[in-house]
Amino acid sequence: MLFAALAVIALGVWSMRWERPGVTLGPQQSVETTNPKAGVHTRLTDEVEEWKIKRTLEMVREMGAPWVVEYFPWAYVESEPGRYNWTHSDQVINHAHQQGLTVIARLGFAPQWARPKDTTPLYLDEERFVDFGGFAAKFVERYRGKVNYVIIWNEPNLALEWGYAKPDAIKYTEMLRVVYPMIKAAAPEVQVLAGALAPTLAPPGSEFGVNDLVFLQEMYNAGAADYFDILAIHSYGWHFDPDSPSDPEVVNFRRTELLRAIMVENGDGHKPAMITEGGWNDHPRWTRAVRPAQRIAYTLRAYEIALEEWDWLDALCLWVFRFPWDQNSYQDYFTFVRTDFEPKPIYLEVQQSMRK
Amino acid sequence: MRRPMVWVAGIAIIVGVAGAAWLADNRQVEMLLPFLRRDATWQAIQQRGVWRVGLDPSFPPFEMLDAEGTPIGFDVALAQALAESWGVRVEIVAVGFDSLPDALKAGRIDSIISAYPFDERLTQDFLFSAPYFDAGLRIGVHAGSTIRELTDLSGLRVGVEWGSQGDLIGRRLQQDGMNISVQPFDAPNELIAALIKSQSVDAIFVDNVSLRQAQVAGLPISAVGEPLESIPYVIVTPRRAHELHRQVEASLQQLIVSGELANMETRWFGAELGEELSQ
Repeated sequence: MLFAALAVIALGVWSMRWERPGVTLGPQQSVETTNPKAGVHTRLTDEVEEWKIKRTLEMVREMGAPWVVEYFPWAYVESEPGRYNWTHSDQVINHAHQQGLTVIARLGFAPQWARPKDTTPLYLDEERFVDFGGFAAKFVERYRGKVNYVIIWNEPNLALEWGYAKPDAIKYTEMLRVVYPMIKAAAPEVQVLAGALAPTLAPPGSEFGVNDLVFLQEMYNAGAADYFDILAIHSYGWHFDPDSPSDPEVVNFRRTELLRAIMVENGDGHKPAMITEGGWNDHPRWTRAVRPAQRIAYTLRAYEIALEEWDWLDALCLWVFRFPWDQNSYQDYFTFVRTDFEPKPIYLEVQQSMRK
Repeated sequence: MRRPMVWVAGIAIIVGVAGAAWLADNRQVEMLLPFLRRDATWQAIQQRGVWRVGLDPSFPPFEMLDAEGTPIGFDVALAQALAESWGVRVEIVAVGFDSLPDALKAGRIDSIISAYPFDERLTQDFLFSAPYFDAGLRIGVHAGSTIRELTDLSGLRVGVEWGSQGDLIGRRLQQDGMNISVQPFDAPNELIAALIKSQSVDAIFVDNVSLRQAQVAGLPISAVGEPLESIPYVIVTPRRAHELHRQVEASLQQLIVSGELANMETRWFGAELGEELSQ
């Protein structure tokens, strides 16, 4: 009798499982905007709740930005060799696609099994590049038709982002040489972005990193041109306005033009570039921050420059749309939307400018 | 295996009962308390004769560097006054704002006094003093204005710093149905000028630092109503530094009661903004 009752309860619970309302994708949307190059870097990697993923991407669309950069850590998907968990990345890609957004997928972050003991997830030995390529190929294969752009690694010119090893343009180029053909074999139409270099004035021999202009030239010297389709650029303005002229000794928004010049000098002028991180910060204390009014004015101008002046630039994706929770640091002052989804004034101003 | 376990348990019970009996005598508790509440940070300050205070000297008027590179400002003066009351010297340690908690946790500094806002998420690691300044958002009006609180702003013009928290709150109030006209300005000094000089707005949403600077400079501006947002600046000490925390609280209260804290505020807040607008 008791067993029968328990069985009935279990059956009831099981059937309720299917009736529970979930987050729906909703109708297919499209982005209405006056600036088809406008974008943002979202930060959904650690966003657990699906409705928040959906709301974030809805708000990006509603702001008038057709492009999003999002990070898909290899370790989160393939925590054991050959065993893939696509649950979270499916949610992000499907919601982004439904909102009519174009996704630029940033790939990196090695699982423990793919790297030596006591290394960080940003370290990868050359013999493991093929494993990373395998993951990248699986990724583009799975999201064929939904993801046409992938970035290989992030800021490899910084020791921090290169697993605290000495940044090495030759080794990074080797990573591209291994991974690029594997992606193309799986989905030839996918465009591979390389670089995503951190803008830095690090002096020669610095333990922290390599000057981005130097690193890019070293990539070309190592033969990188054959292994990427688009250059990913990080373009932070610090406290300079977006019209401050480019200067190799200064980190500002138009440093982008110096990276472009290196592309052209190396015969890569036919390839486009994309800014996949950048922007201004309005933290009251951070020494590289600007006033909130300047941040708005500079951001609007930057989107205008991307659209009207830089015909070689396909997208300008600014850091960072929203964090899942407060970072409790200057990073919170890069955002467009608060963690509770209340739009900051900068969001509303960008939205207004994209509607004109 | 069971017999040794029984012995261990038995001995533990006997020691526990004996200890409880010993502690039942209050004099014994008093003997133990100093040992139990031993504050290594306070003891080290006493032994060194130096209180190491961490701050990021890039936030006038709270902390900045003078022409010789010496840290000065409201927070530096506050640290010196507190240290003086304990008979020790202050050593200012310059640390980047975001690194201050780590520096305190690592023992590089004994305390933080750096216009540091209270953060309840850090309470498991640190002790926080009572606020010595609130930098939050206030409603600023021309002295003599009949505006007394937020609801009095209905139908009026409110100035905000474009893109700031004041701007966000102004837009939020509009969204919630409040009939106000939100007018943006590029910087706090322009905002205050719009209220005091051109009178192109009836009230402003302004941070309390800018407001106090204007007041100290003698401008006819008053704060009315409840703060729209509170950002209390506090002194931070390590979680186990009970005695240091107690001493900070006691001395801070003395500075408040004696009026010395208010004098420091007046001395350090009479800065550029007020002078610029007074002209």
